[in-house]
Amino acid sequence: MNKMLLTGVLLALSGAGAVKVGALLPLSGAGSVTGQAARNGYLLALEEINKAGGVLGKPLEIEFADDGSSPAKAVPEFVKLVTVDKVEFMVGGVSSATSIAVSGPAKQYGTFMAWIGAAAVPVEDAFADHKYFFHYHPWSYYNFEAILDYFKHLRVTKKARNIAIAYEDGPFGSAGINDTVAAFKKAGFNVVMTEKFKTGSGNFGPIVSKAKAARPDIFYWVGYDTDALPLVTEIKQQNLQVGLIYGTPPSWPVGFEKNRLAENVAGLSLWLPSSPNAQSRAFVNAYRKKFGTVTEEYFAPLAYVNLKTLAAAINRAGSTDKDKVAAELAKTNTPTPFGTLTFTPSNKTRYQGFKAGNWLSFQYLGDDRVPVFPLKSAKKTTVWGK
Amino acid sequence: MEGRALDGSRAVVRRPDVPLRSLLPLGLFFLLALAFPFLPLGERAEYLMQIAFFTLVAGVLALSWDILARSGQVSLAHAAFYGLGAYGFALLGKVMPWFLAMPAAALLAGLISLVLGAVTMRLSGMYFAIATLAFTEVVRTIIQNLPEGAAGGANGLLVPALLGGNARAQYFLAFGILLLTALVSLAIRRSRLHHAFAAIRQGEETARVLGVSVVKYKLLAFFISSVLAALGGVLYAGKTFFINPLETFSLANSIAPLTTSIFGGLYTTLGPILGATVLRVAEEVLHNAIKNGYLVVYGLVLMLSILWLPRGLMGLLRRGKRGGDV
Repeated sequence: MNKMLLTGVLLALSGAGAVKVGALLPLSGAGSVTGQAARNGYLLALEEINKAGGVLGKPLEIEFADDGSSPAKAVPEFVKLVTVDKVEFMVGGVSSATSIAVSGPAKQYGTFMAWIGAAAVPVEDAFADHKYFFHYHPWSYYNFEAILDYFKHLRVTKKARNIAIAYEDGPFGSAGINDTVAAFKKAGFNVVMTEKFKTGSGNFGPIVSKAKAARPDIFYWVGYDTDALPLVTEIKQQNLQVGLIYGTPPSWPVGFEKNRLAENVAGLSLWLPSSPNAQSRAFVNAYRKKFGTVTEEYFAPLAYVNLKTLAAAINRAGSTDKDKVAAELAKTNTPTPFGTLTFTPSNKTRYQGFKAGNWLSFQYLGDDRVPVFPLKSAKKTTVWGK
Repeated sequence: MEGRALDGSRAVVRRPDVPLRSLLPLGLFFLLALAFPFLPLGERAEYLMQIAFFTLVAGVLALSWDILARSGQVSLAHAAFYGLGAYGFALLGKVMPWFLAMPAAALLAGLISLVLGAVTMRLSGMYFAIATLAFTEVVRTIIQNLPEGAAGGANGLLVPALLGGNARAQYFLAFGILLLTALVSLAIRRSRLHHAFAAIRQGEETARVLGVSVVKYKLLAFFISSVLAALGGVLYAGKTFFINPLETFSLANSIAPLTTSIFGGLYTTLGPILGATVLRVAEEVLHNAIKNGYLVVYGLVLMLSILWLPRGLMGLLRRGKRGGDV
């Protein structure tokens, strides 16, 4: 321990010649909760990397820039990191719109990007021809692939056949809804209801009434955290008999697990603090030690894995040469809190990290979110309501 | 503009004078902006060029909003025209060259503005603002619900880079559009439109008595303002390569030009441009000086400025001077 600390101090003192990494994150604006979570993940990784000797015998430095969740702010910040702060590698990237906005300067400067977020398909198009673009987060179509796999499993084990869909009428809920319905039907499900709602309206009475008449096995809703409680309250009040309520909000309401109405509600996450694998447990312990709390945001461990794997690739490359580092990062095969990380081609980009198999379906059971699918990561089997 | 005086004689309204010296600060601004890419800014040059580009776009938006406000119409539909410009450019750019798609998108937004103008003609004040806000939401919803193959749906769509992504060329294009906006604003200021807009703003009934065709001038203000706002949207789309309904039609794009114009100085040409420049520079300086919480300081500065400078930055410049309303 003392040796590690001494190494850290010596590295800090030898500040000149540090390897600089820029992190473009939404530290303010709409995406700031995610951005701050990622920042913590980077800070934890940075501390561990420098304690362990840094990279190439030098300290690793990280320069944070706030993209303000806005493309108009992201572009100047990105250019500043590359041309003024002269960072050698870029990490971060949460919003799809800001990521696409920086694709122009990224290609112009040939910037090395190890990107954690930005899952929308247009991002994949924008970076399809960028040879230094490593994407960690699953693309959006992998999310649905993971959900479909779970539902197929429920068809086998619980005889689930009929799906009712409720989706919010904004971009989050509406994007690709027709493809979703088509994919369910192609997989052999009956889509017995497809209804849109206005997020935050709290009025789910008519939708739940329709669902009651349609007698679904699975009630699948795509909305925001504010919709979760009004929806499950209405389902309870109308006594909708359904096998599973499955939601995919970007985040769940704080304290939802404590509400008895949340019991058995299911959802999707890339990671849970209760994930059973060893790397996840180690991350949770290290995070708690540094910040005194446990995060529920999966962008914290994602950023942590992002910086750790990049640093390891730089060390293996033996230099900061972008081609050499890209070649080494491409060879990554390492256990992480999300499962094993490797880079393989996606539909359009060369280096895609996590895919459908890394998503976890969980259920609120007791006061916790418990992984129930895929079976290799499950701690319990699905509690079916019918 | 001519009308009948109370005794029945023809009243002739003279064109307003704009003293040349009052144009000096505006001329100086544009000279500096023109020279900006050639300044020896060292390693910060490219970064500052990006900041400057978005400042020019903010200036176009604010000044175009101000032109409409001069006719007494406090609109919250600017995001709609900005977004229509962006979407028009992205879609028309698929079937025609960019230099044609750009004015065509602006014209399209202008024509749509006439519909909104006609519908909201009898509304004023808060009711007008609410109607324009609803209009933005209607446009956003329509774009979002068009087939994905047509306008990208809720996912949004990629936009080809303006001028091949050349940052300097993009800057000069934005400079040109701001200059055009300023020239239009000055032309209005120097024409009888200035009196017509001012009369409508101060009271439509009085304006009618004075012989001002309220309907015609209100629609004209809407058209001019929307065309220019749409050009701002084109610049944004061509710079950020991507547009989606949620962000492009965001309320922030309607509020920002309003606050910028108030901060700079309403009903002037230089005020909104100056407001955009000072606010963007202040935000960037604060951002670099105070990494965490800079938005709090920025908000406080904005609040205090509006409290202590009711006529905006132009109030400071005009203190003790006459005839300098440019």
